[in-house]
Amino acid sequence: MISIHKFKSRGLYFIAAIIILSACNKEVEQFTEPVTVAPAGLALGETIAANTNNTLFYNLVTRAGLLPAINNKATTFTMYVPDNNAMKLFINAISGGLVPLASPDAVFSGFISANIPVPTAATIVSYNIIPQALPSASVPASFPNFQYPTIFNPAPTLSAFLRLTIFPTSRNGAWVNNIPISGADIITANGIIHPTAFLVTPPQRFLWDRINTDAGLTYLKAALIRADSGVAPTSPVSLIGALNNIGANLTVFAPTDAAFQLTLTGAIFQGLTGLTLTPANAMAQPIALGIATGLASTPAVFTNPVLYSVLTAQTVKGIIVYHILGSRAFTNNFSTTPASSPTLLNSAVPVHPGVTLQATFGVPFVTSATVKGLGNATASNIIINPAPLIPDPSGSSDQHYLNGVLHKIDQVLLPF
Amino acid sequence: MLISLRYFAAFIMANIVSIATFAQITISGNVTNSTSNEAVSAVSITVKGSGTGTFTDDKGNFKLNSTKSLPVTLLISSVGFSLQEVQVTNPADFVRVNLIPSNILGQEIVISATRVPERILESPVSIERVSAANIRNAPSANFYDIVTTLKGVDVTTSSLTFKTPTTRGFGGSGNVRFNQLVDGMDNQAPGLNFSVGAIIGLNEVDIDNIELLSGASSALYGPGGMNGTMLMSSKNPFKFQGLSFVIKEGIMHTDESERSLSPYHNWSLRWGKKVSERFAFKITSELIQAKDWIGTDYRDYNRSSGVLKAGTRTTDPNYDGVNVFGDETTADIRQVLNGIAGQAPFLAPFISTLTTKPINVSRTGYTEQEIIDPNTINFKLGGSLHYKLSPNTEAVIAGYWGTGNTIYTGASRYSIKDFKMGQYKFELTNKNWMFRAYTTQENAGQSYNLSATTQNFNEGWKPSPGNTGWYSQYGQAYLSSKLTGMSDMDAHNAARAVADIGRPKIGSPEFNGLYNSIRKLPVPAGGALLDKSDLYSVEGNYNLSSVTHSFADILIGANYRRYSLNSQGTLFADYNGPISINEFGAYIQAARELTGYLKLTASARYDKNENFEGRFTPRITAVFKVAENNNLRLSYQTAYRFPSTQMQWINLDLNSYKLIGGNKFFEQFYHFNTNPVYDRDLLSKGSKSQQTFNQLRPEAISSFEGGYKALLIKSKLLLDLYGYYGQYTDFLGRKTVVQSKTGAPITVADTAQGQVYSVPINSTAKVNTYGFGIGLDYSLPRNFTISFNAASDNLTNVPANFITSFNSPKYKLNASFGNTGFGKGKQLGFNVVYRWQDGFYFQGDLANGNIPTVQTLDAQFSYKLPKTKSIVKFGATNLLNQYYYNAVGNSFVGGLYYVSFGYNIY
Repeated sequence: MISIHKFKSRGLYFIAAIIILSACNKEVEQFTEPVTVAPAGLALGETIAANTNNTLFYNLVTRAGLLPAINNKATTFTMYVPDNNAMKLFINAISGGLVPLASPDAVFSGFISANIPVPTAATIVSYNIIPQALPSASVPASFPNFQYPTIFNPAPTLSAFLRLTIFPTSRNGAWVNNIPISGADIITANGIIHPTAFLVTPPQRFLWDRINTDAGLTYLKAALIRADSGVAPTSPVSLIGALNNIGANLTVFAPTDAAFQLTLTGAIFQGLTGLTLTPANAMAQPIALGIATGLASTPAVFTNPVLYSVLTAQTVKGIIVYHILGSRAFTNNFSTTPASSPTLLNSAVPVHPGVTLQATFGVPFVTSATVKGLGNATASNIIINPAPLIPDPSGSSDQHYLNGVLHKIDQVLLPF
Repeated sequence: MLISLRYFAAFIMANIVSIATFAQITISGNVTNSTSNEAVSAVSITVKGSGTGTFTDDKGNFKLNSTKSLPVTLLISSVGFSLQEVQVTNPADFVRVNLIPSNILGQEIVISATRVPERILESPVSIERVSAANIRNAPSANFYDIVTTLKGVDVTTSSLTFKTPTTRGFGGSGNVRFNQLVDGMDNQAPGLNFSVGAIIGLNEVDIDNIELLSGASSALYGPGGMNGTMLMSSKNPFKFQGLSFVIKEGIMHTDESERSLSPYHNWSLRWGKKVSERFAFKITSELIQAKDWIGTDYRDYNRSSGVLKAGTRTTDPNYDGVNVFGDETTADIRQVLNGIAGQAPFLAPFISTLTTKPINVSRTGYTEQEIIDPNTINFKLGGSLHYKLSPNTEAVIAGYWGTGNTIYTGASRYSIKDFKMGQYKFELTNKNWMFRAYTTQENAGQSYNLSATTQNFNEGWKPSPGNTGWYSQYGQAYLSSKLTGMSDMDAHNAARAVADIGRPKIGSPEFNGLYNSIRKLPVPAGGALLDKSDLYSVEGNYNLSSVTHSFADILIGANYRRYSLNSQGTLFADYNGPISINEFGAYIQAARELTGYLKLTASARYDKNENFEGRFTPRITAVFKVAENNNLRLSYQTAYRFPSTQMQWINLDLNSYKLIGGNKFFEQFYHFNTNPVYDRDLLSKGSKSQQTFNQLRPEAISSFEGGYKALLIKSKLLLDLYGYYGQYTDFLGRKTVVQSKTGAPITVADTAQGQVYSVPINSTAKVNTYGFGIGLDYSLPRNFTISFNAASDNLTNVPANFITSFNSPKYKLNASFGNTGFGKGKQLGFNVVYRWQDGFYFQGDLANGNIPTVQTLDAQFSYKLPKTKSIVKFGATNLLNQYYYNAVGNSFVGGLYYVSFGYNIY
């Protein structure tokens, strides 16, 4: 009996020992992921709020209702943020001078809250936001411009993917569209701020809207209509269709009416006399000069049946497409030395050298720019705005539209 | 040849007929246990000096006819009792025998080591034996689980009823290096290639014994037994009679961590009847029903390399969870994004910043738990008719049929549903020879591949490709999200939410309707396996010892096998009807005892498969009798396996790649001769290495083993030691190759765009294994026993980057403490079993990863009711409910607690 007791107690020890031993089968091996550290520091909106020179833009952001979005540290944005002076210039301009530049800040902020509709504020702010981090070092200097989508969709019903694009470049300094970047990158917890000295405003119309309504571009309009004759506006080959297409990305060199008149007069004179229009030849052929001048005196020249055989739709189209680049080129994107760029003509004549572009810079803006056609003796001048950054519809250079940029020029570009 | 066969047949007939005479006197009696006074059944009663004998029935009674004239001496023996001799002088006397229990350590008789009966102490190779008594006293809920506690055995648990043992390494769910024989019949499913001993075969009350040969064992049992052979033998109805049953009721999932508390039912039944001295039969049946363990490993991994990694569904867009299915479908959404860039040039520069490297995205999967809710059912039905043509010759017709649902792990997890397999045999056994013909008839039923089914299910509710397809929706939503400044992962998660709109909810009519229709379609459109492959086998052996004993004991044998692969083109390349594979083999074994202390045995076997060159496998063993009950053993063994039927003929389109066999047929079928295939891994690194389609060779091992088995300390301690060293050659594995889809010269882009195949190859590497084991069984006073065993298995000389799937813990040990009868009337019993195994790195077709150290504690307590010949048992496996798993992707096994009532279990 004693021995049984012994065995029982030994057995109990044995069982106790193995229970202790087997008390813990390990969990399966887990693999730890790199810990994502929540970004430290101020978010974009907080950074803007903290900068006393950004108070007016901060007001605009608040007005737009976009503050929570840019303060969301789970998202990353790049923002172009104008200083208070830039906002004052903008408000002064859109108020038609009713808010003088010298007004106290409170007047400007009051204007923002009272006079800028929320959708307008949202459009402007959204257009200054790129949905990814884009430090200056990553901004390309290439030509044509890279386009970056902003978070602004001008027509959500058309496509959820539609975005107005913005054109940062590091060519000829740092720019966004035709606005110079005024300071170094400000790194925030959820993105990057590029300070600007002027507000980057979103385009609102199509290129065709300007051409169609500009009293100084009636020949160009007539020429486009002639070039598109027999082509439905919805056709992919329609030039007017392209100028109305939000998906297009164009630069239009728009010869003024005077430029067209001069070129057409010369062409008709030559057609009548076989002579190049020079002062001497003009004196020698006054009748021909009169006829030519008369025919070229109105945009109806493009629909004049007498000239149908000369100004065929094909011919006119050939001239017009030579005035359009398939990319967006603000004058500040031009090279400071002559550089050729293909035009839409290259889709028909691939080997054509295109046009030659060149710009001269002041501080900070372009003071003069030219575009030269292969067949032109001299370069055509881009008619530079008399003051910097005159927007559509009043300006003559760097006029920005939903689907491109328009520069007025003083000569018709001749491809051959 | 024909003439020699005729002679052989005549010889056999003479053997049967010559002794076909019967008794004139009848002796009857009863046998009881001297300590408990219980009737002892299945006790052997033989008439000394003659071949006449019988067994006691379930009430301990016997009746014996003898031709010898009185007086006669009866030899009364049973394992666990001392042999008794009783003299009978008057046939009218009722013989009452009280058997005295004795020490059984080392006294058990084994057959499989040499195909002739011998004491386990004298076996020339390592062998383990499980007796019916062991099963009766084990805490395992299922008899099959008891092999887990044997020395050097590793078991891979795919699910509650799908367990695959191995010895000396190379464990896995479908181990093709370990043979399982049920009453002499190979239990491997001929088409699916896994052994189904646990689900189709014998039941708990019909098991007579299990013998397990560790390590190489082809020399006697033919191809396949490279890592061991397990032989399960059932109870002969001449010996074991009456009705027996065990009703076991238990509970599982007690902590409800995987699923709610559920019952476990396991009912076994056997009825054996000796109708006359010549005729006996038995019927057996078993039903197991339970809510199975579940694979709940949701770790992320790389499916092509099988390597686990960090990540979840919300942190890895290309997440592929181990026990998550449908997420194997993956695609690079840059194709979608670049398409958008083409249509919306203003987004092109932005998109180009997103597409600098592949953006691989997997479809959203469903967890194993969600899609199968595994309800294990296993029903077995078996029976046999036994007829004694003469006292020494018995004819047997037997059949084992089973059906069930279980879960298996291969290259995917498989729901084995309504699987049916039958094994039917005709056998003639004589004390000198044996003839057996059997067939295995397999029907995969509604079994299906979880990955393929769920992938196709996903395609069913929303196709991956197309303008409105899942990936298009995902890519667009991803881009939309990125356009709002979202981080990559947030954008991925938002995109997934959009693409998953309309995803059927688990359990919804939409889910069930679609899922059930797809799982019934064969791959590649669905996930079903339509396998109805069969095996036909004929074998025999003859012990020539009666003639050759003066020189040596010689045994000869031969077998023929024919596989008939029939999957209707859904698993194998059997489009034009079943594919047949023929194999034959023959062996000879000679044993000679020298000087009384040394016994040498030499065996040789030759096998030929019609698709492979013939193989010769020798074996030499020696047993030195150091002292009485002290034996040293040495052996040199070889073993090999022909590539499995799947490795020869599988042709499975798994959407992302084609899993094909190694038969030369495929070279022509897929035009490898005119449009060659290249090593994909090398191609992805820019190197073009053409893969030639070589004839496969059988995989082989040669192994040396030494061991020592002894009864020590007044025969109270049984010690068994062994050590082995082996070398594997021509390892069979698989390799991923790629072929140009157009026939154009291969390019690096074809790594992704080409047609990918997984082809079987022989490795040129040679790897070595070595290990050792020790077993100690000690008989304590008052019938207490304590046992301990430990083993170690190791692999060396493994070349870098070579996947061996060795899958064996370096160390493992088992310890048990128990008593089969103590207390008043020896009615109480208990057994506590502890198992520990080392952690190891598991490499499988599904996934690879570290398996942590596993410890389990099983225990049972029983109470005998001698008057009703019954026993009540309270048992638990994994008593502490510490969930463990032993292969990546397999179910996590928790505690099972049961109470059982057994009637007339011997």
